[in-house]
Amino acid sequence: MTFSPLPAANKRILPLSMVSIGQKVRLQQITGGKRLTHHLVEMGLTPGVELTVIQKSGPLLIAVRDSRIAIGRGIACKMQVCR
Amino acid sequence: MLLHIALMGNPNTGKTTIFNALTGMNQHVGNWPGKTVEKKEGVFTHNGRKIRLVDLPGTYSLSAFSPEEAIARNYLLDSDLEAVVVVLDAANLERNLFLAAQVQELGVPTLFVLNMMDAAAEREIKIDTAVLSRHLNAPIVTTIARKGEGIDALKTAVVTIAAKKSAEQSILPLELNYGSEIENGIDELCTQMDRFPAILERYPARWLAVNLLEQDEMLQQQVLKMEGGSALLTIVQLTDNRLQTAVGEDVEIAIADNRYKWIHKLVEETVDRPQIDMLTRSDKIDRIVTNRWAGIPIFMLLMWAVFKLTADVSAPYLDWIGGVLAGPVTHWIISLLTAVGADGTWIESLFVDGIIAGVGGVLVFVPVLVFLYLALAILENSGYMARAAFVMDSAMHRIGLHGKSFLPLLVGFGCTVPAIYATRTLENEKDRILTGLLVPFMSCGARLPVYVLFAAIFFPDQGGAVVFGLYLLGILTAVLLALLLRKTSYFAGEANAFVMELPPYRMPAIKGLWLHTWVRIRSFLESAWTIILASSIVIWLLASVPMGGKGTFADVAMEDSAFAAVSGVIAPAFEPLGFGSWQASSALVSGFIAKEVVVSTMAQVYNVEGDAEAAEFPPFIEDVTFIFSSFAEATVDTARAIPLIVGIDLSSEDDEPEPTDLILAVRQNFEETSGGRGSLAALAFMVFVLIYTPCMVAIAAEKHELGVRWMWVSVIGQLLLAWVFAFIVFQGGKVLIGF
Repeated sequence: MTFSPLPAANKRILPLSMVSIGQKVRLQQITGGKRLTHHLVEMGLTPGVELTVIQKSGPLLIAVRDSRIAIGRGIACKMQVCR
Repeated sequence: MLLHIALMGNPNTGKTTIFNALTGMNQHVGNWPGKTVEKKEGVFTHNGRKIRLVDLPGTYSLSAFSPEEAIARNYLLDSDLEAVVVVLDAANLERNLFLAAQVQELGVPTLFVLNMMDAAAEREIKIDTAVLSRHLNAPIVTTIARKGEGIDALKTAVVTIAAKKSAEQSILPLELNYGSEIENGIDELCTQMDRFPAILERYPARWLAVNLLEQDEMLQQQVLKMEGGSALLTIVQLTDNRLQTAVGEDVEIAIADNRYKWIHKLVEETVDRPQIDMLTRSDKIDRIVTNRWAGIPIFMLLMWAVFKLTADVSAPYLDWIGGVLAGPVTHWIISLLTAVGADGTWIESLFVDGIIAGVGGVLVFVPVLVFLYLALAILENSGYMARAAFVMDSAMHRIGLHGKSFLPLLVGFGCTVPAIYATRTLENEKDRILTGLLVPFMSCGARLPVYVLFAAIFFPDQGGAVVFGLYLLGILTAVLLALLLRKTSYFAGEANAFVMELPPYRMPAIKGLWLHTWVRIRSFLESAWTIILASSIVIWLLASVPMGGKGTFADVAMEDSAFAAVSGVIAPAFEPLGFGSWQASSALVSGFIAKEVVVSTMAQVYNVEGDAEAAEFPPFIEDVTFIFSSFAEATVDTARAIPLIVGIDLSSEDDEPEPTDLILAVRQNFEETSGGRGSLAALAFMVFVLIYTPCMVAIAAEKHELGVRWMWVSVIGQLLLAWVFAFIVFQGGKVLIGF
């Protein structure tokens, strides 16, 4: 997997659930089961893709590849992202 | 010749709108065999060619991880298709192309539809369709289906591509480059597959290699059943292990990722768009609608509106249908029978008490369902339904349900039948079945008169509290059952995976709303009439057959009929519950058909009904006028009921006092069967009415939506629970109160 280079100081890995509203992050990896990973990938959530958190109220609402996807808190904890 | 075309696409691409625009009223909804996934089919004719269009479930990919995906993929593999039409959202092309690429890899003749060109234009997205078409190796048509733009061109393109297949032109599957390591693995697998001719008969070699490397479980199972299947899977596993080390990550993710890279390059080449990220109009609405604080009040307000719409606003039409059937229709049938000399015979009784009662039992649900489907279609098509699930997810999650389960459960307080149909909004089959099983415990409107009667008889001072307690008991039962069923292996752990797309808000198209409603009402009538008619005739027969030598066929008092005898046989089962009389059990038996008739059956069996006066029929023309004038009245009443949604009451309540004879008879009967603990037996009876099967139409709805197996689970489970609960109430009460 190749990522576009990011400044080393910014490259902090954290779960998606920790990202606050309005922040743009890059998906690093998904640490869930095969089924879940597959479902996320086919919805466009592939490693390296850019996400913006639009809303947080229980589940998260994120913008990815022109679509808006709601993700439960539990799953958001399993998605590692970096700034 | 009928040309066979499949329609597919991601959810929320306007696929349904395109299906409606192509087929119009010539469509039919049902379920896919053995699944609770909706299947729609339609027919249209263009340029002299007749096309059969099958709408496949909306899917994000062709890998068979969900029932919807499995249906879509197996359909492409196994049916003799002329072509597949893939609908793409022009404003969200990148994600949509994932499915498009998979379809092309399968090598099916394909026509792509770029829909929602207006939404793309609004966001200044320009697409070079010529280049896109060349890369995808398939023709492309652009449409704005909501406005009907491009539909004629689409029809022409469909006919053209369908005719081309007939000319036996072979389609080359699209070959994406998955990187040198994976490509080597694919090549190697393809060579090995020559040894398995039976398998290659069904699947294209390269496609099979790629999909087996993607760890598609359903495909693995299908291959395993074929000759040489297990040998092939072992080879794939070995290759997969080797590739995993070479690629350094899961092979299936690497494949999906490479597919997205190919798509990304394609999009860069063909799509021109402004680079600035901006919040769309939908995002701005979502700031409020999905807000942590505002979201739930907005949701509650809308749900209340839907509930009122199905429960109150449709009521005048319900009365109208009842009135027309009891009045003009009954008059006409009796006149007809008189004309052939069959009046006053058992034939008249069969028609009036059996068939009309049965038909009426189905038709009265039509107004409720019309309003329900309209409301659901508006919520769904506007994009709000997905937000409702978002807002309610945390709360419903705690009891193992999905955010979208809330609406069917709420509608259940009005009527169980539309509530069961409302479970269709849940995408996941297990969530849908679980919610469908819980819906009947929401006490429906028809059960209320029974509670009111019994509360008035036995608990005149605490009536309100008793009725409220029953509603609460229903809810608690559902919550506990949800928690319990989630622990079973079948329902385990599914609701956790909350991932869903929120489509942009849109104004629903009127034509689509109407079609959605009409097609489903037709399907309900087709599926419900047999079961209802049959059960009404059985009850009529039982009530008509004289037992013990008194009366003649179709002219027999209730207590001398086979109905009373059958009820008498069941009665001992209710003895431990405190209401083991044939009268009480016959009320429960008729309540199995419909809860509306429990009170009237009691009036009949306790023989307190006044004799109906000999009717003098009004002239034909008066009957016809009645049909139309009462329809107009119903419409006026409906219009007056709409303000009720926001709590303004324009009509005055009119209470019908219960006949005192009935009260005395019921009290005496319950005191007798319970050994002087009438109130306790009455409470047990009410609990039984709350928990057991709501009605025959609800059973028909369960069969229609959940399948025969779950219908039986539901019916038997409710009967058992009802008995156990009533037992606990009566026997437990006896111990507690110390009678």
